[in-house]
Amino acid sequence: MSFIKTFVGAVALTAFAGGATAAERIEFMFPAPVQGKLSREMQRIVKEYNASQDTVEVIGVFTGSYDDTKIKAQAATEAGKPPAVVLMGANFAAELAMSDLIEPISAVAPEGTNLDAFLNEFWPAVRANAKFDGQLYSIPFQNSTPILYYNKEHFAEAGISKAPETWAEWIKAAKKLTKADGERWGLMMPSNYDYNGWLVQALAMSSGGSFYNTSYPGEIYYDHASTKAALKFWRDMAHTHKAMPTGVTDSKAVSTAFFSGKSSMIVLSTGALSFVRNNAKFDYDVAFIPRNVRNSVPIGGASLVSFKGTTPEQKAAAWDFMSYLVSKEVIGGWSRFTGYFSPRKTAYDLPVMQEFVKNNPDALTAVEQLKYAGPWIATYNTVAVRKAVEDEMQALLSDEKLTIDEAAARAQKNANEVLKPYVESTALRF
Amino acid sequence: MAPYLLLLPALIFLATFTYWPMAQVVFASAFEGRTIGSATTYVAFGNYLRLLDDEDFLGALWNTILFITWTVIPSMALGFLFALALRRSGWLSNIHRALLFFPTLLPLVAAASLFIFIFLPGVGLLDYYLAKIGVHGINWLGDPDLALWSIMLLTIWKNAGYYMLFFLAGLQSLPEDAEDAALIEGASWWQRQYFVVIPMLGPTFAFVSVIAIITAVVQVDHVIVMTKGGPNNATNLLLFYVYQQAHEFYDIGKATAATVVTLAFLLALSALSLRTMERRVHYES
Repeated sequence: MSFIKTFVGAVALTAFAGGATAAERIEFMFPAPVQGKLSREMQRIVKEYNASQDTVEVIGVFTGSYDDTKIKAQAATEAGKPPAVVLMGANFAAELAMSDLIEPISAVAPEGTNLDAFLNEFWPAVRANAKFDGQLYSIPFQNSTPILYYNKEHFAEAGISKAPETWAEWIKAAKKLTKADGERWGLMMPSNYDYNGWLVQALAMSSGGSFYNTSYPGEIYYDHASTKAALKFWRDMAHTHKAMPTGVTDSKAVSTAFFSGKSSMIVLSTGALSFVRNNAKFDYDVAFIPRNVRNSVPIGGASLVSFKGTTPEQKAAAWDFMSYLVSKEVIGGWSRFTGYFSPRKTAYDLPVMQEFVKNNPDALTAVEQLKYAGPWIATYNTVAVRKAVEDEMQALLSDEKLTIDEAAARAQKNANEVLKPYVESTALRF
Repeated sequence: MAPYLLLLPALIFLATFTYWPMAQVVFASAFEGRTIGSATTYVAFGNYLRLLDDEDFLGALWNTILFITWTVIPSMALGFLFALALRRSGWLSNIHRALLFFPTLLPLVAAASLFIFIFLPGVGLLDYYLAKIGVHGINWLGDPDLALWSIMLLTIWKNAGYYMLFFLAGLQSLPEDAEDAALIEGASWWQRQYFVVIPMLGPTFAFVSVIAIITAVVQVDHVIVMTKGGPNNATNLLLFYVYQQAHEFYDIGKATAATVVTLAFLLALSALSLRTMERRVHYES
């Protein structure tokens, strides 16, 4: 009985509250690629925002991985319910803008907002992925770069004094750290879809080349020397140096192996930093991704976008919520909680951030690596183009007989096939 | 007229939610359409030709055939053996029935997430026990030669108990005199199962095989959770291929054509298994 009373009371209260304030309701879709804890924290931030004012009510919807979030946001748009705010994989903004699915930020922000000054508060490395055709389409919120995590106790035991800085040192260290029969691997890197392409890009950039044409979304460089160097380095780690397990390794397996001492070095996103900090029961440290010819890594992470088809009121609400999320305090807090670096440079000026960085110097490595960071692969139909090289990398890790030339040529051919409709649409017909 | 009137309510639902969408898919498969760039153009069988040209599609088709064969036969065989063993009620057999049925109650997504950790190379449960007998570091989900078989293992584990339930029900409904007669004639246990029980369970076998084939084709959750079709398309099944073409690559033409192929494939298999089983079906007068 009392349960029913409470229930009726609650319904009446909600109805009353809803009528009295008439807050603008908007939907916010967000992924949480690393761990469940992040999605709980995000819901807490949304709640705090809702409590802080009474004009906007945000409904947070957890949507899984980056790729899944893109699928769900597009499906909702096709069903006539475009989400007003989505935390979207940073490299998808270009493709979504190209297909006219998202609003330029200038259409969401109030008239007269100086977006150039706004963007200047963000690190230069994250700006390229936020823009398409000169216009700002997304606001960076959580960003990362791949980074090397290593077990200091294993290093001491093997007599290695510092983190490897070049590929030659990296290979030497990995071989030295490996123990027979899979008891311990020198190095593990996630080779499941999504992570795989990101790391091939990192290794290709490290070898000096471009991975794709940053100003034309119809061109990819899988059969160029730098990408081949990336494929070869990764393949050799497994087959030639035997310092890494063969076959495909999921990111979950990589972190688990690191925590259980089965792998001495791992490459993961800086977004996994808090996860590692909370779970590694030994002395660890982080370092730049070693260089082949130069230090260079792609950024990763996610940015805020707004889908087309919302009302002006929803746009105003979206802007209000986005501004709240990227405010120095909130974006800085999120960075401390997760390990992602804050794309908003000025957040690091806050005393609480300076204090945090002083106590956790590992948080600074990602920020320092930013100097050498470039944009993340963003082409027409990015996921399909990315998969072309990921399939070949996976095949190389499993099949010792497959040659680099063969794999690179097939990746290029399959990617070209995917890019063809776009390339044809940009060419004049004679 | 009356029979059609009686059929009408069911027919309306079937037509709206099954026949009409099927017709739409067949129609849509004659057009090439992408969300970005080009508008839809009529290509007749163009999409089907593109499918034949796509290694990933042919791979998915072959994987699906393997997957059906090696999940349906073992899980039905196991289900039948479990049912035979637990045929007589009793507290011990009730406990076993409950335990064997338990995997069916788990959502496939949850089971797949669990099995990721069971299959983890080096630190997973499976490798932990294999290491005790000297087998080291098998990359169950990461080796293209093993990944599909690993997913099959999960599927068999999950479905065998479910099929056991149908066989148990079938066994309960068998007339006892036929078996008693065989017993008196001096038939051995094996002879009784082979010549009496199995033929009389014909309808159950026919029914379960159709259910099992459909389940094998329409379940895709484990692939999405465990491998996303990888490594290098080794676990790409037809339905996952359709999902990927439609929602990740926006190739609606290929996705609809692949859907039609999947549908035709499923219809043909169901018809075939019903037909062959029917010949062995024992009907009671």
